[in-house]
Amino acid sequence: MQHLTLASPAGVFLSLDAVLILLTAFACLGSKLFDRYLTYYGLQSVLLAAAAATAALVTRDDALWLLAGLTLGLKGIAIPLAARRLLVRRLQLKRDAGLALGLSTSLILGAGLCAFAYLVIGPQNLAHGLISRSIIPLSTAVLLLGALMMVVRRHMVAQLIGWLIMENGVFLGAITLTASFPFIVEAGIFFDLIAGFLIMLAMTTGIAERISSASLARPRREPS
Amino acid sequence: MPYLLQFLQSLAVAALAPLYAGVLTRAAALVQSKHGPSILQPYFDLWKWLGKASAVSDQTSWIFRAAPYVAMACYLAVSTIVPVITDQPLPLAFLGDLLGGALVLALASFVMSLAALDTASPLGGLGASRTTWIGSLAEPALILVFFTVGVLSASDNPYLMNHAIAASPLAMVLPTHLLGAVAFFMLLLAETGHIPIDNPSGTIEISMIEESRVLEYSGREYALVKWGGWMKLFLLSAIFMNVFVLPGGLGDGTSLVGGLVGILAVLGKLAICGLAIVIIDSSFAKLRFFRIAEYLGGAFLLALIGIVTSYVVAK
Repeated sequence: MQHLTLASPAGVFLSLDAVLILLTAFACLGSKLFDRYLTYYGLQSVLLAAAAATAALVTRDDALWLLAGLTLGLKGIAIPLAARRLLVRRLQLKRDAGLALGLSTSLILGAGLCAFAYLVIGPQNLAHGLISRSIIPLSTAVLLLGALMMVVRRHMVAQLIGWLIMENGVFLGAITLTASFPFIVEAGIFFDLIAGFLIMLAMTTGIAERISSASLARPRREPS
Repeated sequence: MPYLLQFLQSLAVAALAPLYAGVLTRAAALVQSKHGPSILQPYFDLWKWLGKASAVSDQTSWIFRAAPYVAMACYLAVSTIVPVITDQPLPLAFLGDLLGGALVLALASFVMSLAALDTASPLGGLGASRTTWIGSLAEPALILVFFTVGVLSASDNPYLMNHAIAASPLAMVLPTHLLGAVAFFMLLLAETGHIPIDNPSGTIEISMIEESRVLEYSGREYALVKWGGWMKLFLLSAIFMNVFVLPGGLGDGTSLVGGLVGILAVLGKLAICGLAIVIIDSSFAKLRFFRIAEYLGGAFLLALIGIVTSYVVAK
């Protein structure tokens, strides 16, 4: 992104947006109600759509507009709504009891991962004044937080949310890093993801209905 | 003239702190559709307490009698070093930076905890233990918050921080600054015993935090303790508004008129800050005691992310 500099209004907005995306990832990590997971994930996707729209506005790239719209419609609205209807209403999932670590401990670990992301990316070595300098470490941190969420949660749905957060982190890095990222690749990944999510949601529902537990702490045999 | 302004600043803090507390109480009552006491009620209370003799248990030592005076002196000392009515440093402003101010505030809290332990009443010990626990979690976060403004202004003096924020509108919207401001507001609520940490108007002894330390005080000492608490709220709110949110509108430190205008400006800013506090007081519930660690951990996290992002975003 040649013309997207840190000091421009769009650059400042993107940095702020990326920090908010990171905070929603932390919010997900720090809560234990399924309802909250979905709310924060939806919020994160809306923020991500705003970031994509900003990038589209600056680069005048039509494909990015399409991606922003898809992100908003599918990840920001459709997935949270569908998952809420299915998981919270029908399956009555309320409180996530499958925590491998306490919330405070996971948050501290998350803060450590955030610092680690800055350490490994080394933004001070990246080109001066470009937006990627601030976005790349942040998107790496979001990715790592999603991974951490998958590690410290035992419930299948919580791990799904962690996976989706990881994907959001990758997406955030991709839209700001390379304007010329082929649209077909991004869209392909996107639809793969949606399909995967729907399949896993259906599987979760099936499993939870049949053996009345979706915890991955100790997978049980199906009662015969 | 600067010394006169210095005196005026401390006087304003001491004289207007009860008014701020009274306005907050009244506004909270109005938000909850009650009538509420007059905004001057804290002054009447102070007058009443100051005229009463104080009953002191014969089991207590001099620590119990000295603590309110030491705490009051601490709050007055802090009122000399932070920007309240002027944006130019006053003569005593270089006694300490923000970390020094936090240290003096911690000293005030420490002597009050000692006094609470000194009475050997169970509630006093409980209150001292709880406030110390909260303080030990809030203090690291507070230091990190000062670092977030420090990286923007390359200084730890509150006046220079005020100038750095006032000088560039861009600095106001940097993630580092916004995260630091939110974290400071969370800590302000924790340090002054507001919802979601403590209920300032709570009357149930078993769940009190801040208030149970001072249950043994009466008369003049009680007046000093309450007055000190209001000054702490006033000072922290003034720092929040003057350093973090709205740095403009203060006097220039050379003319008396500027100082008087500065007082009006700070009252206006405090009205905004007070509104935020009242809304939070009325719309949230008090946290369960052990959830407080998560709340303060959240403030710590915000400040930490603010500092980490400052490495790239600010430059």
